[in-house]
Amino acid sequence: MANGTWRNTRSRGGYQLPLTVLFVLAVAIVLIGKAQSTLFDRARADVTDWMAPGLRIVHRPFDWVSGSWHNVSEGFGVYEENVRLKEENARLRQWQTAAIMLQSQVKRYQSLLHAVPDPSLSSVLAHVIGRAKRPFLETMILDAGKANAVKPGQAVIDARGMIGRIFLAGNHTSWVILLTDLNSRIPVTIEPEHSPALLAGDNQKAPMLETLAQGAKVKPGDQVVSSGDGGILPPGIPIGTVIADGAGYRVALLSDPATSQEVAVVDFKNPVEAPPVPTAKDLPVTAAGLPPAAPPPSAIPAATTAPAPPPPASAAVIPKPVVPAPKKDAGPKPPAASKPAAPDPNAPPGDDPVEDQ
Amino acid sequence: MISRILGAVTPVLLAMLGVMIANLPVSFLGGIVPAPLLGLMPVYFWCLVRPDLMPPVWAFSVGLLEDILSGGPPGVWTLAFITTYAVIDRQRDVFAGLSGLAAMLGFAVAATIACATAYGVETLYYWRIPPLAPVMGELAMSVFFYLPVAVFLGSVHRRLVGPLRSDF
Repeated sequence: MANGTWRNTRSRGGYQLPLTVLFVLAVAIVLIGKAQSTLFDRARADVTDWMAPGLRIVHRPFDWVSGSWHNVSEGFGVYEENVRLKEENARLRQWQTAAIMLQSQVKRYQSLLHAVPDPSLSSVLAHVIGRAKRPFLETMILDAGKANAVKPGQAVIDARGMIGRIFLAGNHTSWVILLTDLNSRIPVTIEPEHSPALLAGDNQKAPMLETLAQGAKVKPGDQVVSSGDGGILPPGIPIGTVIADGAGYRVALLSDPATSQEVAVVDFKNPVEAPPVPTAKDLPVTAAGLPPAAPPPSAIPAATTAPAPPPPASAAVIPKPVVPAPKKDAGPKPPAASKPAAPDPNAPPGDDPVEDQ
Repeated sequence: MISRILGAVTPVLLAMLGVMIANLPVSFLGGIVPAPLLGLMPVYFWCLVRPDLMPPVWAFSVGLLEDILSGGPPGVWTLAFITTYAVIDRQRDVFAGLSGLAAMLGFAVAATIACATAYGVETLYYWRIPPLAPVMGELAMSVFFYLPVAVFLGSVHRRLVGPLRSDF
């Protein structure tokens, strides 16, 4: 390729200033993105929405190739897989019977104890129209967005377990951050000890278990489910199984984001309830059986207790002759100027100025 | 006139096309094979061959597009592309003098600078060390794919822009 006769005569001095400026600009973008990435998120969501129809078409042959590759690689162990599945099926049937019995038992106990029912879960079925694995990001794009009530933070599950959660929602598409992604952190519970922990992705196939509570007893084979802490993710979504990794632990995920085609976006509604308004019965004095203390003077209506200030002459005469009249008959109404305010039919009796007098 | 305009915009259009193809959210063989840095290849190629057709602002734009489409933190690849461009620009005579297998080695150096910059920015961004294996995989795939892509870019350059340096 080299040739001595060729000379690069183009000046590069003119690029020095733009290069410096652009370098500073790039650093500024990183810093702004760290502080506030909404602008980029919106741009990404818009671009993905725009590309969604094309992605659906482009994705089909790749899915076919990927699925075929998967089938071919699995085809070599069909016999062993069949034997294993038959054994597993027989074992699961036993567990199914046990589960049905336990479920009815739990329902009976819940009705006896008047237990609070679990919060309602609804879900949106979405198709995977894209998935990408970059050095610093593992993501999946779904064909459901804000128009389908998909919101950032919602859990994404497939038939086997949790895949990740929504981190960006466009109008008709949404991006999923996978549990294996470097930026994924979710609170989990390790069963059966019910130990809290944090599941942290590090771009490996099995994410790490972090921040285990002191004294937590964890062993390989334990089940990991979402804890629901924070009120964003629903509790109890199956995630995976604990496996040992040197001194620490990792989680072998039940779901397989590389092959999932249809997923459910779980809408978890766990509204924060306002505390009940205390009544007079709830006051400590009343609860102790003592008579309630007299309210402070400022809280009592002036008409009942406080000596009325000397009213102006016109105001003092008006109520007495006029107020009873509308109650007894439907005679001609007095002139508006001399009519007092009519008593509110819904008002408590103590508010009626006539009765007070 | 049209051919001149076409020749002027071809490098950046090809770079942006490369970014779009590399970030096409499809899983090749179940995501085992990472996508190469297809956007960096035209930047490197034309920065050496015809730097007037690939000024720094185009390299910046290509990096920005890579950031938007890749879904990662904004500015990471923009900074990586600009840094790589600055190094190539300063050492253009050295890089341009490479031929054959050494030319691939030259691109490997450029891709290493880009990946190392992105890795460093990502480390500072999240304040933890990301795993090295995915970046190494992307670097390896980029170097592997550079040869066929460079042949294609050379062909496009001859047809739309003008003769290559090796044609003199």
